[in-house]
Amino acid sequence: MLPSSNQKKEFWVVGRLVFPRDKESAATPGSPVPEDSQGSRRSAPQGDHKLLGFPVIHGTKVIARRTDLEEPPQILSLDELAGHAMEGLDYPTVMNALADLGPEGRVVLFSRNGKLLRWETFEDPRICKDVERGAVIHNLEQKPPDMSGWRTHEFSIDPKGCLGTVCARCVRVCPENAIHLRGEGASSFCEIDPTACKGCFICWVECVRKSADCILIDGKVFDSELRSAHFGE
Amino acid sequence: MRRSLAGNTAAAWGFRLSRVQCYPYYPITPSTSCSEQIAAWVADGEMDTVVINVESEHSAASAVISSAKSVRAGTATSSKGLLYMVEVLENGSGASLPFTIFVGNRATGAPINIWGDNSDAYAVRDSGFIQLFAADAQEALDDIIQAYRIGEDLTVRQPVLVNLRGFTGTHTFEPVEVPTAAEVDSFLPAYLPLEPLFAPDRPVTYGPMLSAHYYRRHKRNQTEALRNATGVAEKVGREFGEQLGRTYRNFEWIGDQRAELVIALVGESSGAAETIVSHLQGQRGVPGLAVLRIRLFNPFPAEAVARALFRAGTKAVVVLDEGLPHGDVFPPLAARLASALQAYWGTEAPRLASVIGGLGGSEIRPEHFQTLFNLAANMADGRPYRREPCWLDIEEDPILLTDAGKVNPKLWKRYGEIWKAQPVLPPYHLPLPSCNYEIRLYGRAGQGAITSAVFFTGAGIESGFWVLTKPTFGSERRGAVVHSDTVIQSQGAAKTRCFTGRQDLVCIYDDTILLSPSHAPAHGLKPGGTILVNTDRYTPNRVRELLNLAPSEASVLVVPASRIARELQLGSFFNMVMLGAMHRVCPLLDFDLALQFYGKNVPLPKEANLEAIRRGYLETTDREVAAPEPPPPDEQEEAFFHWRPEEESLEFAMLRSLENPRG
Repeated sequence: MLPSSNQKKEFWVVGRLVFPRDKESAATPGSPVPEDSQGSRRSAPQGDHKLLGFPVIHGTKVIARRTDLEEPPQILSLDELAGHAMEGLDYPTVMNALADLGPEGRVVLFSRNGKLLRWETFEDPRICKDVERGAVIHNLEQKPPDMSGWRTHEFSIDPKGCLGTVCARCVRVCPENAIHLRGEGASSFCEIDPTACKGCFICWVECVRKSADCILIDGKVFDSELRSAHFGE
Repeated sequence: MRRSLAGNTAAAWGFRLSRVQCYPYYPITPSTSCSEQIAAWVADGEMDTVVINVESEHSAASAVISSAKSVRAGTATSSKGLLYMVEVLENGSGASLPFTIFVGNRATGAPINIWGDNSDAYAVRDSGFIQLFAADAQEALDDIIQAYRIGEDLTVRQPVLVNLRGFTGTHTFEPVEVPTAAEVDSFLPAYLPLEPLFAPDRPVTYGPMLSAHYYRRHKRNQTEALRNATGVAEKVGREFGEQLGRTYRNFEWIGDQRAELVIALVGESSGAAETIVSHLQGQRGVPGLAVLRIRLFNPFPAEAVARALFRAGTKAVVVLDEGLPHGDVFPPLAARLASALQAYWGTEAPRLASVIGGLGGSEIRPEHFQTLFNLAANMADGRPYRREPCWLDIEEDPILLTDAGKVNPKLWKRYGEIWKAQPVLPPYHLPLPSCNYEIRLYGRAGQGAITSAVFFTGAGIESGFWVLTKPTFGSERRGAVVHSDTVIQSQGAAKTRCFTGRQDLVCIYDDTILLSPSHAPAHGLKPGGTILVNTDRYTPNRVRELLNLAPSEASVLVVPASRIARELQLGSFFNMVMLGAMHRVCPLLDFDLALQFYGKNVPLPKEANLEAIRRGYLETTDREVAAPEPPPPDEQEEAFFHWRPEEESLEFAMLRSLENPRG
């Protein structure tokens, strides 16, 4: 049986056939094949089974002859992928899984009260699969690019001189959010993410502990040339 | 149920039945009443929608785009409003968002012009929207429902514009079949947002910056999605037919399946063209004719159109565009058709000429299509024709040479040889028999002439007739002369959308119009037609004299409608009296049946208005109206009008008023 949050219907899967039926009529929950499935499929007023687009086989004898149909289909439940539509659908997963399924893949949408909304053979319309549709970016899956090529000097913070949570000025002024606080309380200190730092000198200029030289440039604590370049000394 | 709706209201029904969840709008003529209707429904609690009154179309488009990320959204606009949206429109198509904008097509100035043509839709041709052109109010309703199905298809996911010509489409009252909510719900499933905003588990960024590599790959995907819309639209139109009974194709082929001569166009003007096709079809010396009405303008179904023309063995195509080429070889539709023929047919392609017409509300009359078919016949004959677009209704630069005196002499050098080689073929110009019953109302704006025409239409539709009412708009300053045309189809099963301009009945709501030098109300009257005048000072013979009508030409009836309305305490609202009088003249509609309809629908006070209709029916006469009884003199009024300032001084008047305080 398919896992589903549908309130009125449940879905039995037999081979490559899917039988939707009302929950109330499921008198024999143990049996995988509903006894009256063959009979009721023809007389079903909604005829959902036809719309599903899976091979329609009349009579159990045919199923017995065509053993290939008994192989279970690969089933994608949108319910699993999206608990509620407003919470979003794992679209790339649906796309990729359906692409694997090929022409056998179906998207079947039921409303919550059990009515079949539509089914369709699904084909990813994208030609270039590396770009999401609508150029949408999934923020949590986004990998930050390596910015280390932008800078001409290596920046690091000497944890011994850093005031940590007391100051954290560099964390606030960094335009790239490349500086993070590490540790807690008195032992806390700031750290520069080497892949995010573009080498703009802002933290170095803004650091309140200039005399302590807690921001190291190319590993050096003091560089008179840099000083004069930035402060005109 | 079939009911009388204007195009805008039908579009509003389309949004309502599609269960639009968010509707931001900024009103603009001629699509205002669509938004107004939706806002009214929402205010009355009949529709569960968030209506946002934004401060401009730019914001309306922004709001509709951002809401479409999570819910089903729509809006309506026109003309400059659509152009003001242009800046954000591509954010919608680029972000792959399905929503629908209803466009009441209107000219884009300068000069300012509020009437219909397709310039606004053509101007946003390249913004990646799917564009459907509806031919009537029914189709506008159906197209909006289908637009959501097409746009929301998982292989498409693109926004849709549903176009309907301004005024002649959006303001024409016509019979519309409004499907039930259950029917539409089974056709159009609930909206499934793929990448909703504000999904805490899956935060997304819309509209990021992409560098060239990803940008071009994204645009490739977007183009593919738009291409898929051609097939999806065809499928959705077919399914719509299966479920709701009206099938739509991406383009309609109306007329002979083996048509040698084809006129291609979009939208509402096809009504007049269809009439001409059925009129000329089978005449001696006229080959197969057809009208190719493109419904899906974008993405253009190029291959299918080229195939259809190939199958028919078409020799000449004349494309009518209600928009300008703006320096292109052809205006947009002709350009698309020409490149489709070139790409999918090649060297043996039929000859194609482009015609510009219908600009800024210019009428496209049936005679125009007779000229265009004549032009097509000449082209098929191998005669030279103009490669530049021709113009409709410009005497200085005609399509076929009829009056050489009016032609601008400057053009002889350019087009003289072509004009001389293009004969006027008489079989194409057989006068169109006007077998339908046509009514024209002349009134002054504010008298309710259009309201009574709309009631008349409703009653006609209720009685099972095919009735259209096309009011004129634009000069509706209170007191200006306005007119409204109504056609009642009396023959044939095909639903007409053709006004011949020749009336069986002309109703004049105000007898001062008879004296107006700039109006000739009887000029379009058919021989044997009727003139109905609201007057109690002119005799029918005097009316005939004023209009220069011979007694055999027309019958003249008068009704003292204003007086009847006054007597019924209706003030100056005499339009219901005229409505009754119209029933007296028009033989087609059953008055008792119509009265049942009016009993349910007339405005308050109901009894007085119904009595007004009845009395209008009874008191219409072809004889002289009895002079009205002079009202009894009112002493107070007499005193007021006879008072002279010299009779008493101001001080005295003030003192007297102090002596006799009121109440």
